[in-house]
Amino acid sequence: MSYTDAFFYFFAALTVGSALVVTFSRSVIYAAFALLFTFLGVAGLYVLLQADFLAVAQIMVYVGGILILLLFGVMLTTRVTNAEITTGTVQGLPATVVVGILLGTLILLVSRATWNVQESLPDVTGTTTEIGERLLTTFLLPFEIAGILLLVAIMGAAMIARSTDKTKEAA
Amino acid sequence: MPDIIFQSTKHFWPEITLALTFIAAMIFEFATKKRTTGTGILVLLGLAAALVQLPSAPSEPVSIFGGMYAIDPFSTFFKYVIIVTGMVVVLFSFQSQELKKESGHTGEYYCFIAAVTFGMVLMTGSSNLVMIYLSIELVSITSYILAGFSKSLRRSSEAALKYVIFGALSSGIMLYGMSLIFGLTGTLDLSGIRTALASGHAVTTGWSFAALMAAIVLMLAGFGYKVSVVPFHFWTPDVYEGAPITITAFLAVASKAAVFAVMIRFFYVAFFDNMLASTGVYSSFRNVDWSMILAVLSVLTMTLGNFVAIWQDNLKRMLAYSSIAHAGYMLMGVVVMSNFGLSAIMLYFVMYFFMNLGAFYVVMVIADKIGSENIDDYRGFGKRAPIISVGLSIFLISLTGLPPTAGFVGKLFLFSSVMASQFIWLAIVGVLNSVVSLYYYARVLKNMYLREAPDGDESPIVFSKVTSAVVILFIIPNILLCFFYQPVLTFAQRSIAILLPGL
Repeated sequence: MSYTDAFFYFFAALTVGSALVVTFSRSVIYAAFALLFTFLGVAGLYVLLQADFLAVAQIMVYVGGILILLLFGVMLTTRVTNAEITTGTVQGLPATVVVGILLGTLILLVSRATWNVQESLPDVTGTTTEIGERLLTTFLLPFEIAGILLLVAIMGAAMIARSTDKTKEAA
Repeated sequence: MPDIIFQSTKHFWPEITLALTFIAAMIFEFATKKRTTGTGILVLLGLAAALVQLPSAPSEPVSIFGGMYAIDPFSTFFKYVIIVTGMVVVLFSFQSQELKKESGHTGEYYCFIAAVTFGMVLMTGSSNLVMIYLSIELVSITSYILAGFSKSLRRSSEAALKYVIFGALSSGIMLYGMSLIFGLTGTLDLSGIRTALASGHAVTTGWSFAALMAAIVLMLAGFGYKVSVVPFHFWTPDVYEGAPITITAFLAVASKAAVFAVMIRFFYVAFFDNMLASTGVYSSFRNVDWSMILAVLSVLTMTLGNFVAIWQDNLKRMLAYSSIAHAGYMLMGVVVMSNFGLSAIMLYFVMYFFMNLGAFYVVMVIADKIGSENIDDYRGFGKRAPIISVGLSIFLISLTGLPPTAGFVGKLFLFSSVMASQFIWLAIVGVLNSVVSLYYYARVLKNMYLREAPDGDESPIVFSKVTSAVVILFIIPNILLCFFYQPVLTFAQRSIAILLPGL
């Protein structure tokens, strides 16, 4: 087993293991902290695939931005509403059966199928230039649409979060 | 590459117009805080500007932006349906009391309508999995916001939340399906997937093939969620009931049209083998029997939709189940894999547009008047508000598919296309389902005409002239299209050309 393999299994275990904690933890705070390791694990996998830009973006955007906001959100709302935020489970048995069958099928298929793999990674020194070029040529249209999508999402979030006139009067 | 982009922009003007409309409406809304109707008018004009550019689309299929997007008569047809629905919904919204109660923010509402129309139009032409995902996501996120627009109403917020949770799950499943397809074929391009399948790739046999079928099922979960196909329909009744009714109408017609367009493109382009020119019947790649999966889903969808609708007391909720059932009927047209089936779906969408928007409009104006969508509160309406009641009756008969209404012609062609492809059992299930649907639509009619109002109140309920005029405007095509459907049918038949690679 080469070093790369060892690193791969380490990051994969980190990702899957912490993702399991996210799913099964009853406290949202613990789940959010476990999510940190999931994101880091994925970033590690990106590094192994020589996707340097993607790895850095993953850490900066998800770990540095989204996760911190999420943690603040959870902690602040707990303070304000004085309610413990926990998650619960309903319909445990049927869900386990259905998910188990799905998981089994997928594992079977994924392990047996012939995948379209590249034997070796292309010899590139940095992906940033390449990504920038592709985003403005081949993937120009999706790039622009993603921009509009984010704009809509921001507007929507602002609209939902804004206090209505009624709540202002109450406060 | 810059040449390709400039060449592509030439064909992309309707979409660019819609995007500009959204941005212009947003700026206008920020600049003039108070005059909210102004934003609506601006959006209406923008949609109209996009609409008038559609006829100049090339009659031969063109692939633009390096295979990301397709301009073909097929997508143009759906763009007409979507943009016209968008305009009608904006006009309805001007009249809706429900939205006026939401003090002052209705300007943003119109911005979102422009954005969602833009997303739906993009869906019709997307020919790359990245574009398919992004456009579906644009439509989804905007729809979540719009469904929760009535912030003061608890049920509206509940609708939005349920919509988001189900939506996030199904889009995750669909993405996973896309990743499997990419892993198996090594491409995100629909025509590239087809080429990979045609070249006797490893994916056509054994375990890889099984994985491909699983990926298709996962993709179907995403599409099925958006058109509310059973078993991905759970959000539909709550969202349709809780969302502002103008948005419910929009989701029921335009959103379904857009997803049908992208779903048909996905199946026909990626898994299409050849077509017998004489019969117009397609065949998919050996063993890729997605039509059987769709047939089963179609039967489940229409049966569940119709049977659960029987027990509904809220008319908006009943129309939600009825729209599930209609998605099931239309899915039959995809199952048959023929040009006949395609044109039948397209014809059905035109009919569905008139009957469904008419029905939702009547529910909206009645709810604004009496503050209820409960079927029991419709008692005695036949005498108290004759024009509205006649309108609703015709729309419901049309939804059932009885002559002499547009719905009859729509169903006739849909069922004939199923028969022509030897799916006799499917056609029989469809007809039996229509009989079931008659029961619950007739219940509304019975309440309106055969029951007295509970307190014996027979004073007429006065609706404005505009309302009556709109209802009559919707009655006319519902009747006329039963006899003069030929132009629409011809247009649909001319519009079946989908961009296919290497043909």
